[in-house]
Amino acid sequence: MKATTALILDTFREAFARRIFWGFFGCCTALLLFLMFIMRIDVVEGAAATVTILGRNNPSTDVERVVHQTQGVIAMILYFAGMALSVFASAGLVSAMFEQGRIELLLSKPVSRTHLLLGRYAGNVLVVAANILYLVLGSWIIFGIKTGVWGAGFLLSSLCTIFIFCILLAVIVLAGVLWDSAAIAIMATFAIMIVTPILAQRVTIERLLGSESSRDVVRVLYYTLPKISDVSVIIWRLIMNQPVESWMPVWSTAIFGAVVLGLGLWQFERRSF
Amino acid sequence: MFRGGFSGRELRAVDDISLRVPVGSTYGLLGPNGAGKTTFVKMLLSCTHPTAGRAMVFGRDTREPEARRPIGYLPENHRFPTYMTGWDMLDFYGALSGMDTTARRKRIPELLDLVGLEQRAHHLRLGKYSKGMLQRVGLAQALIHSPRLLVLDEPSDGVDPVGRKHIRDVLQSLEQQGVTIFLNSHLLAEVELFCREVAIIQKGRLALSGTVQELTAGSGYRIEGLHVPESLETELRARARSFAANNGSLQLLFGTREEANQAVDLLRANGCEIESLGRIKSTLEDVFMKTIEPQEVNQ
Repeated sequence: MKATTALILDTFREAFARRIFWGFFGCCTALLLFLMFIMRIDVVEGAAATVTILGRNNPSTDVERVVHQTQGVIAMILYFAGMALSVFASAGLVSAMFEQGRIELLLSKPVSRTHLLLGRYAGNVLVVAANILYLVLGSWIIFGIKTGVWGAGFLLSSLCTIFIFCILLAVIVLAGVLWDSAAIAIMATFAIMIVTPILAQRVTIERLLGSESSRDVVRVLYYTLPKISDVSVIIWRLIMNQPVESWMPVWSTAIFGAVVLGLGLWQFERRSF
Repeated sequence: MFRGGFSGRELRAVDDISLRVPVGSTYGLLGPNGAGKTTFVKMLLSCTHPTAGRAMVFGRDTREPEARRPIGYLPENHRFPTYMTGWDMLDFYGALSGMDTTARRKRIPELLDLVGLEQRAHHLRLGKYSKGMLQRVGLAQALIHSPRLLVLDEPSDGVDPVGRKHIRDVLQSLEQQGVTIFLNSHLLAEVELFCREVAIIQKGRLALSGTVQELTAGSGYRIEGLHVPESLETELRARARSFAANNGSLQLLFGTREEANQAVDLLRANGCEIESLGRIKSTLEDVFMKTIEPQEVNQ
């Protein structure tokens, strides 16, 4: 436990030193301040009389719909833009661990390699999760106080965002262990972030493809790779209080993440430094 | 065994080396660049995995994390996290070594003082440390959990002579406390001063090992006499292995103690003064060069 705590705190310290944490924190705070002071929702008898953003009135009637849609937009910004930034930031944090002269010192300690890598992984997840939770929890409270809408969907959506970050971080870890390069880790993760939304359109793609074997390839890729786009749909439905049709995108993505992280740990265990 | 890039040629970095290091002793590992010293040390610490065989320390396979608990290590080209202060770094590596917070809080200031880091440096970021200060804090890091074995790779690299002396004093006091010190260094004079035993590695194989005393043991005796009469000088020259005369002084080299004693008797019997008398010692550098050179020539 001492070693785990030390590894997590070290990741935080490095994130602070690299200004990564403060960068995220600043962006989140700016958004929260925007919600707190710039956006005004006047609620009259359970409905929004007006929603004022930067002084402009937007007449509206359904306060819950307004809140959920705004939360949905925040969640999507966080999910796609925030995720991209997190990938950029985390790739450096992971590959820094493998620097010559640093890794030898870590490996010489009475801590298993799996423990070392998972400690760094957990620290990285917590750095990003702290900011996601800060933004989501902060905006959830602001919306709650301003409108009286306290739906749990928005909070659940933050867990989905953190979950997807865990999966992408597993890719970063594997690429980092294999190539010691933050740049390659970013490229590999971005490739997944770009390819998987395309694969999410597999029904349309399959219709366009001529041969059955090509369709099989698309199907295999779709079911094997993480379903970033499909999970974003789940997040949206959670926020809108709509039923989630299938949790398959979540559990199949979790399997992908577990396998990739397992490969990263296995490779780290057998590698010589 | 490493496989080289596209050629796929295998390189045997370390080949069947087994060293017995007595507990509580100071042991030096020597060898030219690329001899396999660092790879050997990394194997001991399980940073590098051998393709065959095992690295055992205190009777345990170092792949087991617990086997590394009694080991303190200072790598050669260390890269300590520059965002940490000296105190933070010791706290971090102390925690990784399994020390609890109370023990770390007590040990850290003791160690920083021991290695000679001033109070103001304790809370200074490592990015602002000089090379010498980094070596000192690196040594403190290796000592944080009071290890029984200290593996040091070029510990005085970049340290000024005063600092070097200080580090040597610290290591000597540790040796007296029964800590085994395994020193990997290019500074032969330092190894000779400090280590009781050494091993020389060449091309991944053990080329020579033994106590420093044995390896640098005398290869003869030197006598310097003054005002030696010509007849005696001729006689002594005939007996000596080599000689040199200069401004009334005669320097003679003898191969054995008996020959040297006989020469002393003769000199004294003839009323000559003896300016100096001593055993000729090889330096560790001589031993090192003699061990390495034949192989270098064959290359």
